Amino acid sequence: MSIYCPDETLQTLVREFQQSQTSLDHQLERVDALLLAYPEDARLHFMRGSTLAGLGRLIEAHQGLSRAVALAPEFAIARFQLGFFQLTSGEADAALDTWGRLDRLDDGHYLRKFVDGLRCLVRDDIQGAVALLRDGVALNQENPPLNHDMQLLADRLIELAPNPGNAAADPNVSETSLILRQFTRPLSKNGDAP
Amino acid sequence: MKAGGSPRGRALAERAAYVEASLWRRLRFENETHCRERLFSRFLTLARALAHREFGRRPPQGLDRGDFEQWAYGGLLEAIDAYDPLRGAAFGAFARHRIRGSIADGAAQASEANAHHAFRSRVEKERLSSVRARGGEDRDDPIRELGDLAAAIAVGLVIETPAPPLSGGYETQAWRDLQLTLEREIERLPDTEGAVIRHHYLAGVSFAQIAQLLGLTKGRISQLHRSALGRIRARLRPDD
Repeated sequence: MSIYCPDETLQTLVREFQQSQTSLDHQLERVDALLLAYPEDARLHFMRGSTLAGLGRLIEAHQGLSRAVALAPEFAIARFQLGFFQLTSGEADAALDTWGRLDRLDDGHYLRKFVDGLRCLVRDDIQGAVALLRDGVALNQENPPLNHDMQLLADRLIELAPNPGNAAADPNVSETSLILRQFTRPLSKNGDAP
Repeated sequence: MKAGGSPRGRALAERAAYVEASLWRRLRFENETHCRERLFSRFLTLARALAHREFGRRPPQGLDRGDFEQWAYGGLLEAIDAYDPLRGAAFGAFARHRIRGSIADGAAQASEANAHHAFRSRVEKERLSSVRARGGEDRDDPIRELGDLAAAIAVGLVIETPAPPLSGGYETQAWRDLQLTLEREIERLPDTEGAVIRHHYLAGVSFAQIAQLLGLTKGRISQLHRSALGRIRARLRPDD
């Protein structure tokens, strides 16, 4: 018996999940049942991690994504998502480490563009980040949900983009600082800043 | 007065629930003990708000707001140590219960004698003993010792006071400039010294609680406090 879950079983599962025919709790049960039979299958760990993230069980989600990458270091989408999870969690250094291996992908691969865009974000280069995220979205034909997430992030960055006149007024202030100032001002005015 | 670095690009991608989960994971499963302090800072506002609410609901009986804050911080520390992040309950709700309990216990145990030694006098005594604890040759130089004590009092006063009493616009601005200078110096301190100064002066956390928070002895916190004040004082001193 193979240590990997048969492709057909996995495809059926993914179709069911995509059609929202099952609740996230039930999805988790299905994945866990398969993991009992195929504990070394990185794809199942990746699915488990993604489902747990959807349920808000973030510590276990991280564990699932990490396990998937440990089992299959070349599993590019799992590696990308683990890095994105780490960036979202305030662990930018860990994210940069996780993404390092994705540099082996072709320059024109959409994941390379997304990673390079997020690296720009970490460096406060907002314009570079938006441009590369958009490039990635244009190139990505195989993973629409990921395009949706990256497009949302790019849109948010554009929405918060600084007025060029303001940026010129103080060359020592990073673009991000300006963005955050514009973002927080109205909140402070209302007295409900975080 | 608020301490903190400038915002960064990565902050735009962060999500609060993910950041909190990451802190719990690293504290509980990856032995990154500094995450305990970050969680404490994250929920400090909650503890303080509960302390103020409870203070407003009870007759003072000689206690001050600072006493309530100390009990609240104690409750928060207990909550951080007792919380199981895998059980699904949100930490805020869990901590709220513990903090209220800690305040209720503290208020119940506060005796008449304790009331006369309220937080403010205790904290000032604690600071000054920390500065005076310096041994060796400095103890033979009363002028220098007096200077150290005055510096400790001054740092506390500048950090904690929004504006000097009975001041005009110019004095207020000068005071604010001094606060900003101090704020920058606190940012430049080594990590642990900075944590001691921020928690003690900006949040009013006692040395004993900071010791518990950082996993160090109270004596060590006192040393770090002294060393941090010395460092700040040396940096602010004009060149001879």
